[in-house]
Amino acid sequence: MSVASSENIVVRSLSQIGDCGLFLLRMLAAIPRSMRHYRETIRQLWFVGAMSLIIIMVCGLFVGMVLGLQLYDVLSIFGGTSATGTVVAIAIYRELGPVVTALLFAGRAGTSVTAEIGLMRATDQIAAMEMMAVDPIAYVAVPRFLAGVIAMPLLTCVFCALGIFGGHLVGVTWLGIDNGTFWSNMTATVEVVKDVVNGVIWKSMVFGIVVSLIAVFQGYTTPPTSEGVAYATTRTVVASSIAILALDFVLTAFLM
Amino acid sequence: MSQRQSYAVGTGLFIVLGFAALGYLATQTTSVANSSRGPSYTVEAHFANIGQLKERAPVKVAGVRIGQVQSIVLDPGKETADVKLAIDKRYDQIPDDSIATIFTSGLLGDQYVGVRYGTSKKTLADGGELALTRPAQQLEEMLGKFFGAGGVADNLGGSYVVKARFTNVGALSVGAPVKMAGVAIGSVQSINADPVKLDALVTLAIDKRYNQIPDDSAAAVFTSGLIGTQYVAIQPGGSPDALKNGDEMVLTQSAMQIEDLIGKFLVSGSSSGKPADGGKTDGGKH
Repeated sequence: MSVASSENIVVRSLSQIGDCGLFLLRMLAAIPRSMRHYRETIRQLWFVGAMSLIIIMVCGLFVGMVLGLQLYDVLSIFGGTSATGTVVAIAIYRELGPVVTALLFAGRAGTSVTAEIGLMRATDQIAAMEMMAVDPIAYVAVPRFLAGVIAMPLLTCVFCALGIFGGHLVGVTWLGIDNGTFWSNMTATVEVVKDVVNGVIWKSMVFGIVVSLIAVFQGYTTPPTSEGVAYATTRTVVASSIAILALDFVLTAFLM
Repeated sequence: MSQRQSYAVGTGLFIVLGFAALGYLATQTTSVANSSRGPSYTVEAHFANIGQLKERAPVKVAGVRIGQVQSIVLDPGKETADVKLAIDKRYDQIPDDSIATIFTSGLLGDQYVGVRYGTSKKTLADGGELALTRPAQQLEEMLGKFFGAGGVADNLGGSYVVKARFTNVGALSVGAPVKMAGVAIGSVQSINADPVKLDALVTLAIDKRYNQIPDDSAAAVFTSGLIGTQYVAIQPGGSPDALKNGDEMVLTQSAMQIEDLIGKFLVSGSSSGKPADGGKTDGGKH
């Protein structure tokens, strides 16, 4: 668990990844034990999921709107504005929905999870739990991890739906693409498995696991100082963002 | 306890909202939405050519979707396509002499079946047939008509052959239209290189109706638009004698190469010294 003392950055980051993987195994092993605390999982789902809805919805709406605007502008060069709906839907389902939701989730929920657990660590609450024979992994870490894993696909779906709505708002209501054309072109091209399942579901599940793991792990291994908490929070965002974008490429290559 | 309950309710709402969004995405914005909903009845239509029509393509009346294409098979033993249309039960008032046409939405859009109502009092029933159909318009045919390649059909009425020599025919191809005053009057019959004179010998088949073309008319290879296809334009002269079968047109203007044009443009647009040189080398390449 301890931060590797070596100055070598390669060794340090490798040991971080190794610690992170071991931590994931410990959490997975603790899932049956944490079922007693299922109410805590629901409470965390409320905090990381339901409370993130507003930012996800607003951002989804604006992403869809700006996509509609940009695509209409470009497609009108080719006289293909009727394809706006299709391209908005495909872009959102395959890339923007999962990725932007995951980035927002890392910033909105991941940081608060890290800071909360880090502060618990800094104020010795976690040590106190261990003293009281309450497993902190099962009571603190797992509920937050599970809540993140469950919340991410749901948030992504909401984001995508609002994105489509935003594209429709700009394309049809504002720029005057025919409503029927917008939807029929979309439904003619977008596929359930290729776009919705591969794009929205699989990607967001993987991102949910990765972002939650990083957030909980960073919080749990925070050095018990105020700088430590600040540093861990920053690292959650940085590591999550890199992991999301790198994994997005890998997943796209596999799911294509 | 009440606080805990509000978490549970809010979280439940969140989960329901997420799944509702997923359901919406999967059913309303994907191809699932195109699969037929509700009861429908099947009608047959036979088309000479279905173009790019696909299964599940919409069937529309007055632009309103009333059903979809269920299946497309080739009629056994015939060169026609048997298209089965699944039409919603709600729309059961379609006259049985209605015309089914394959349309394209936009220039590049997908194709769909458009039904135009007839006047019959009898309506189509399940298993009925739309006897009157119009096949898909092929874009190539339409463009051909538009650019006057229809001259080929005119040749059926008889044509006479005129020769013309060009130093350069550019991208002119056999079958390209021959136009006078922008109207197609014939087509290019053959293009051969003359082994002796080292130029291109083009034979033009011109419709017999246009037999009053002066024999000092000029033939030029033009391009329709900037990147369009090339055609032979005939600019009438002032001679009292008309061109006859087998005559050769003396005055010709070869195809303009866009590279030459740009070369000229660059030359005229800049100072005289170096660019003239560049223009020469450019010309030498072609």
